[in-house]
Amino acid sequence: MTSLWRRHRWWLTPTLLILPGAVLFAVVILASSVQSLWISLHDWDGFGPMVWIGLGNYRELMDDPQFYVSLKNNVIWLVMFMLAPPIGLAIALLVNQKIKGMRLVKSMFFIPLVLASVAVGVVFTWVYTPEFGLLALIFRAFGANAPALLSDEHFVTFAIVVAALWSQIAFCMVLYLAGLNNLSEELIGAGRVDGARGWNMLRHIVLPQLTQVTFIAIAVTVVGALRSFDMISVMTRGGPFGSSSVLAYQMFEQSIFSYRFGYGAAIASVLFVIMAVFITWYLTRIIRAEERGA
Amino acid sequence: MYPRPVPETAHASRRLYMTLVGAILIVWLAPLFAVILTSFRSMADVMSGNLWGWPTEIAVVENYTAVFTQTPMARYFLNSLVITIPSVVGVLILSTLAGFVLARYRFPGNMLIFALFVGGNFLPHQIMMIPVRDLMVRLNLYDTTTALIIFHVAFQTGFATLFMRNFIAALPDELFQAARAEGATPFQTLIHVVVPLVRPALAALAILLFTFIWNDYFWAVVLTVSDDVKPVTAGLANLRGEWVSAWNLISAGTIIVAVPPVVMFFLMQKHFIAGLTMGAVKG
Amino acid sequence: MTAASSPIFAKPRNRNERNAMKSLELHRIEKSYGAYHALRGIDLSVEEGEFIVMVGPSGCGKSTLLKTIAGLETISSGQILISGRDVTKEEPGDRGIAMVFQSYALYPHMTVAENMGFGLRMAKRPKEEIDAAVARAAKILRITDQLDKRPKQLSGGQRQRVAIGRAITRSPDVFLFDEPLSNLDAALRTQMRVELSSLHAELGATMIYVTHDQVEAMTMASRIVVLNRGAVEQVGSPLELYRNPGNLFVAGFLGAPRMNFFDVTVDEVSGAKAGISAPGLAPLNVSLAEGAALNPGDRATLGIRPENIRLAAGDAARAAISGKVRLVEHLGRETILYVDAGALQCVSSESGTGNITVQVGQVTPISAESPVSLSIDPHDAYLFAGDGQRTVTARKASHSNQTKVDTI
Repeated sequence: MTSLWRRHRWWLTPTLLILPGAVLFAVVILASSVQSLWISLHDWDGFGPMVWIGLGNYRELMDDPQFYVSLKNNVIWLVMFMLAPPIGLAIALLVNQKIKGMRLVKSMFFIPLVLASVAVGVVFTWVYTPEFGLLALIFRAFGANAPALLSDEHFVTFAIVVAALWSQIAFCMVLYLAGLNNLSEELIGAGRVDGARGWNMLRHIVLPQLTQVTFIAIAVTVVGALRSFDMISVMTRGGPFGSSSVLAYQMFEQSIFSYRFGYGAAIASVLFVIMAVFITWYLTRIIRAEERGA
Repeated sequence: MYPRPVPETAHASRRLYMTLVGAILIVWLAPLFAVILTSFRSMADVMSGNLWGWPTEIAVVENYTAVFTQTPMARYFLNSLVITIPSVVGVLILSTLAGFVLARYRFPGNMLIFALFVGGNFLPHQIMMIPVRDLMVRLNLYDTTTALIIFHVAFQTGFATLFMRNFIAALPDELFQAARAEGATPFQTLIHVVVPLVRPALAALAILLFTFIWNDYFWAVVLTVSDDVKPVTAGLANLRGEWVSAWNLISAGTIIVAVPPVVMFFLMQKHFIAGLTMGAVKG
Repeated sequence: MTAASSPIFAKPRNRNERNAMKSLELHRIEKSYGAYHALRGIDLSVEEGEFIVMVGPSGCGKSTLLKTIAGLETISSGQILISGRDVTKEEPGDRGIAMVFQSYALYPHMTVAENMGFGLRMAKRPKEEIDAAVARAAKILRITDQLDKRPKQLSGGQRQRVAIGRAITRSPDVFLFDEPLSNLDAALRTQMRVELSSLHAELGATMIYVTHDQVEAMTMASRIVVLNRGAVEQVGSPLELYRNPGNLFVAGFLGAPRMNFFDVTVDEVSGAKAGISAPGLAPLNVSLAEGAALNPGDRATLGIRPENIRLAAGDAARAAISGKVRLVEHLGRETILYVDAGALQCVSSESGTGNITVQVGQVTPISAESPVSLSIDPHDAYLFAGDGQRTVTARKASHSNQTKVDTI
């Protein structure tokens, strides 16, 4: 036994070490994601037997007006979330100074990042509350009445995205601050000698050095936008009348509240395809960068 | 350094600059301040609509006591700890083991396993909701803290393995050769050489994972229903439905949910930032 | 390191009993990565107490060979014996070796003492034994007062000592060194070289040492193994290799400045003599070794070390070569001339220009662009035939009053 172990230790040890993590990840995460595609081809209430209906769920989806509302809202999330990298960069530039007290200020700017999205959702619900909220207070200062953002189907998604941007901006700011700390002092110096300053310096000397960080910030932001669920659930539950729903929330609602698991899985699959397009873009970018680097 | 530093001798400019930054910070954190201030108000003020004027009394103690005694918040808080701490420990162990193997052993399929870990990270977790929920129902774990722990460990192991693998791969090769030449078994190498050297990475990872798992809401509502197992995030969402306009109590509840990650962040800020940027840069 | 007579670290085994046994034997070691052949049929037999230095250009396989001995790399075929025991399939830790790495590979989170005792700790030896072994090694290396420090707090030379100490603690049958001095500055390198030599004398242990630095090879080795493209070119004592290189590669690799090589034609072979010539070179008669198998009309390569070329002052008739000085390097102790001999081009020359390298005495009143006549003693010449694969000139006595070793 001992000699058997000694003889095979060189490959047994690594296998045993990687097995728990790999198996758990494969079963719970990867297999589930694939299984979701399978379920989407069935009619299923989550308890009884699954009934094969082929592409039936997808056909129904094509005619579901709520699906298009959710899809449109996902696009709004994606587009508006793209504000996070530039605003994050702006704040990073603002606080990238060595002045007494700046360290604390930076930490304070980071706070939204560590808040639970549920907490952020509640905070902004309070901000948007008609009559009493912070927004109402500001509008009143100008003698106007604040609109009830969360019950207005035209504004509601924008209002939620603004809340979600709060922490996303903080995330991008952290990334950019790290990037700014890694700038080549010599290149900045060379730029100064060549007379670049302000916007020119940023555009031609600083941003090119931040390409990698920008790429990551965008990637993180896209993933964040597509994963949006918590805020919607907490702030509006998709309302009013489904006008603030996104694919992730619609899937949740169809499955958990309406027991239409097959239909929910079909919505998840659409989300998966959108994500797959993004992952492909991301991976090819990385691979190309690796090839250039090598 | 960019932007150009405000000169150290220009005291006036420095003071002016800090004032400007401070003003922006106040606007930035205004929503949070509003909630903190509201959590100090008495129920009487809230009911009479005095939400921004001078408070008639400071009700900090009353509000926070009320949250803990009149609601299951204490229970939720405990549940969150019961879920988060074992999950973090579990992820740290599994990802160190898997990261060590992926970083140090060349075998067919190494890159494939690594790519699956990375790719799994990007999946929106809603995709796996239905099968995971079904799996937990079938394992008789639905509506238990164990279900959440299992899911969090599985999901975060993807990101954490990527993180640990990159960190361990960056350690000098000769250290591992030296350990081998001195007769250390792979497991001894892991315990006596790798673990002590990756301690900073483990710290960074631990604080990140704590934040991610503590803040999770989606899986909490998918996998739990009863108050006995629900974490604070799902609990807070519940309370909001119950106390429609008791904003002082809702605010206090929000602060309670927010405090642990914020405290962790301030205690281990360096590790947190390092972890976040390293994970992001490598990923 | 103290005097060689120190009894502190006598090897625990009875030396006489083991005298017959080879410390290390390599039999037909082969290693290939896919189509790339890293090691080709390496045979080597090392006596106990030898200091073997493996040298060769980068990529020659010397580090790979060392790692296969250590067991850090597997071999495709062949056999490795340490102290008579077949260790080919054994783990590095079981082979009875200890290794000193180029980067020292000290564990940054352990103290010096913990670093040195790590191997014994992994083998679960009693604490007293570990402490005693560490203390003994520390005393030999004079780092007793550093034992509680971390590697980060040590200088390069001290780290080097700790790495060696870690090897000593394990009392291995064979010490392996992988370019251990290459990270040190020049002054420290010389010092450590001397210390390593006296350590070897003191321990009497078998040591295998890999380097690309021929000075280290010449000064420290009891035998040098010259490697090229994964194969052994020649094995022998430093002076033997210097005086009687077996082929053109070894002749070119050892010695600084490099040997001059010229393409020549064999005009006639009579008995043990051969007459050779080349354009720009006066005909030369060299003594052949037995079995030289050289025929008139063969192409061959003539090799002359720079210090064996003399200035033939004014006597152009007796000169073997005449040319013009292109560059003079005054090094104080010696002067190096680079001579352009017109038609007679040096192949793969030191300067890469085809100029002949000549090393002459301390102060030579000669300046660039002046014409010179060079003479060669045929006894100093080497002739390489068969594409440089074999030396065909007669053996030269290895003892010589000329100091061949450059001590910088």
